Amino acid sequence: MAGALTERDFVQKLERAGFIDIEVLERAPMGISDCALYPLFTDELLATMRRLIPPDRVDRIAVCAIIRARRG
Amino acid sequence: MSRDLLHQDEIRGFVREAYRSVDSESRAVAEKLYSPEELEGVPAVALDHALGVANHLRHAHIEPGDTVLDLGCGSGIDSILAARRTGSSGRVIALDFLPEMLERTAAAAEEAGLDNVETLEGEMEAIPLSDSSVDCVISNGVVNLSPRKARVLAECSRVLRRGGELCVADVTVEEEELPPEVLTHPAAWAG
Repeated sequence: MAGALTERDFVQKLERAGFIDIEVLERAPMGISDCALYPLFTDELLATMRRLIPPDRVDRIAVCAIIRARRG
Repeated sequence: MSRDLLHQDEIRGFVREAYRSVDSESRAVAEKLYSPEELEGVPAVALDHALGVANHLRHAHIEPGDTVLDLGCGSGIDSILAARRTGSSGRVIALDFLPEMLERTAAAAEEAGLDNVETLEGEMEAIPLSDSSVDCVISNGVVNLSPRKARVLAECSRVLRRGGELCVADVTVEEEELPPEVLTHPAAWAG
């Protein structure tokens, strides 16, 4: 997650790579509770996130997007 | 900003170590993302280690006979589901940088009775396939792990045939940055 792009940057990189007809088909907010489903998020990291991320963002710290494109 | 906080080699090391050591017996992720019908017949080894972020396969145009590249296949759940759709006349190339993941994918494919899943060890920044050799690239929660995302997407474009499809699910962030303590935490680069 720390290396994730913004959706705009992701789409721009796809365009630069030669993709066309780029569509963002789904967007689902990802909160800290969603992260806790994944064993990759350690208890320590989850605790750090709960401590530092403002309450109004804990349910939307990232967005899971589905993006489809065609090679031009 | 986050990309300036750590070196590429550090990031690769964090990701590699985190995925190598992951050991899960929870089906929570698989059951969240896929329907019971989709999961029917998928071997436990693939269900228990599913680490994707969405069900992109519902949007992927995968036809019988297609060659599909699963970029960062992990334990193989998406490779299994895609291989059912390509049928025996097509194939899925399951690419991952960790032999441990490829072993799980191969075991899952064998248990599922699929002989059209081929595992391939390699980096997504240097996909070991020839130009224009695949019809569709799928990837689930993987591109964000690379410190060289533009390179990854250029490689996807290179291996796809003209008109071929890329269908990815990935984590994106909004403009506001996460706290530096989160961005520099090794587990935050893998998770």
